[in-house]
Amino acid sequence: MESFFVRYRNLLVLLAILVAQIVGLAVQVRRVNSTGRASLDPNDGPGVRLIRLWAEAIVSPFERAIHGSKLGVQYVWSDYFDLRNVRHQNQELQRTIDRLRLEQAQLLEDARQGQRLQGLLGFQEKYIYSTVAAQAIGSSGSSQSHVFYIDKGSQNGLKPDMAVITPDGIVGKVRDVFPHTAQVLAINDQTSGAGVILETTRIRGILRGDVDGQLMIVGILADERIKPGETVLTAGGDLIFPRGLPVGVVEKVVRDPERDAFIDVMVKSAAHLDQLDEVLVITSMQPRFSDQEQKDIETSEEVKGAEAQAIKDQLKASQIMAEHLPGLIEPNVPADQQPLNDDTPPNPMTPPPQPLHPDRFSPGAAPTPDVGTDSQSAPGTAPKPESPAEPQSGAQKGPGRNP
Amino acid sequence: MSLLGADARRDMEIHRYPLIVYGLVPLLALVLQAWLPRPLGRYAWFDLPLVVTVYFALGRRSPIQGTLMGAVMGIFEDALSRHAIGMNGIAKTAVGFLAASVGIRIDVENFTIRLMLNFLLSLLSSAIYFFVYRVLLGLDLEWSWLTQLYIAIGNSVIALIVFPLLDRLQLKD
Repeated sequence: MESFFVRYRNLLVLLAILVAQIVGLAVQVRRVNSTGRASLDPNDGPGVRLIRLWAEAIVSPFERAIHGSKLGVQYVWSDYFDLRNVRHQNQELQRTIDRLRLEQAQLLEDARQGQRLQGLLGFQEKYIYSTVAAQAIGSSGSSQSHVFYIDKGSQNGLKPDMAVITPDGIVGKVRDVFPHTAQVLAINDQTSGAGVILETTRIRGILRGDVDGQLMIVGILADERIKPGETVLTAGGDLIFPRGLPVGVVEKVVRDPERDAFIDVMVKSAAHLDQLDEVLVITSMQPRFSDQEQKDIETSEEVKGAEAQAIKDQLKASQIMAEHLPGLIEPNVPADQQPLNDDTPPNPMTPPPQPLHPDRFSPGAAPTPDVGTDSQSAPGTAPKPESPAEPQSGAQKGPGRNP
Repeated sequence: MSLLGADARRDMEIHRYPLIVYGLVPLLALVLQAWLPRPLGRYAWFDLPLVVTVYFALGRRSPIQGTLMGAVMGIFEDALSRHAIGMNGIAKTAVGFLAASVGIRIDVENFTIRLMLNFLLSLLSSAIYFFVYRVLLGLDLEWSWLTQLYIAIGNSVIALIVFPLLDRLQLKD
């Protein structure tokens, strides 16, 4: 018996290790749907989580060190060698910031108004309230698994299923959280899923990745309206990504190889998923604004309030002046017939008054071509002026107009 | 490719390394495998833990050590990915065992043989992974053999560079 174990010890060790791993796999896989298809348990058991924690704890310090070294080199390059034209750029950027802050304040007011209206309609819309900036420090290292690690974890308030974005577009969601790091499942992973909507055609679908990490929207009925170049946004129905965030643009449309009536829409990601550096984790989505946005709103309101106050002062001054001017308000005339309420044109075509003794200077008199004939144009000999036009009715309605 | 008796070749050509090499080299492979895909993007066609597993299994010529090395490396890779623990573990366990078993019987000092072994064992590792995922566990998986072919070629190229460097770390009698 002893010789058997000695002779086949290599094979026995191999079998033991293989069996142990197969049993471990069987524990992690469970059947979740009625069709009987197996699926990986998305929630790791305590033992599996412990193994992941150890692996991450061993690898992440080195990844941080490499990432830090890379940042250091970049810092030296960008801060000491690549500073040409920086002063000029700074001035331009400052001007851009000033302009954008004003625009942002205006847009925020619009957004707040829209938010109020949505609240009135009972429409529950989530807004990004707070984010945590993080650095991508490592990846899974497997072409079959599009996950990466960030340098923020549960101690920074991160939790599973939080959305990860960049200013360009969405990136993924937090899958697993450790004390100082977190694992992010990128949107181009095969197991990922996000509700998206095409901006123009308003067609909805589910975004996921294929084997090569290419983004695609699946489960869409063939529709000729979908054209390359159309913008894809988050639909907001997956309870992870807020609505309206950029996802990418339609690259091409291909037929679903498995279902004839359906198409797959290939999407070019807005975020640079292959070369992520800094990302934002959305830690809170509430119908509120951030502190900075609140400040911008207050600034905007102050500016707007000052303008409104100036207009109010002008109005008040004109009212005081109107009260002090005689004849503008007739005490014996009803309010709706007051001169101030007169809706007739302010300068109607009023005929000039008729002269008692018309002469050549009177309105309507024919011009005299020759100054030498003054003796002929004596008073009383002047040509009779044309009969004046009938006074307009409007002109009669203004008693006391010229006090 | 000269064939020798297993025990004779094993006794004659076991490669020995300082203890720290057994710890640092696999760790470096895991760290680089986790970090390099970030700057390289989708062109990260290599599997450094597999290359290291094959190297030590071939050099040590001990199936048990090769098996253990493969298991540890594979489980580490699984732990860093979204995979269930054991997918890569099973594949690399088998590869480590096979590499060590082959190393006993053939002349692995020959560079061409090393490269061919690396290429074939990389494809074998991918095949085992695919088998476990799709057949053993019955999970859905999109698969590209072309990508696996690129990875096998990438592993061979890396082995071409890394194996001579690691050979310099051997302890000389």
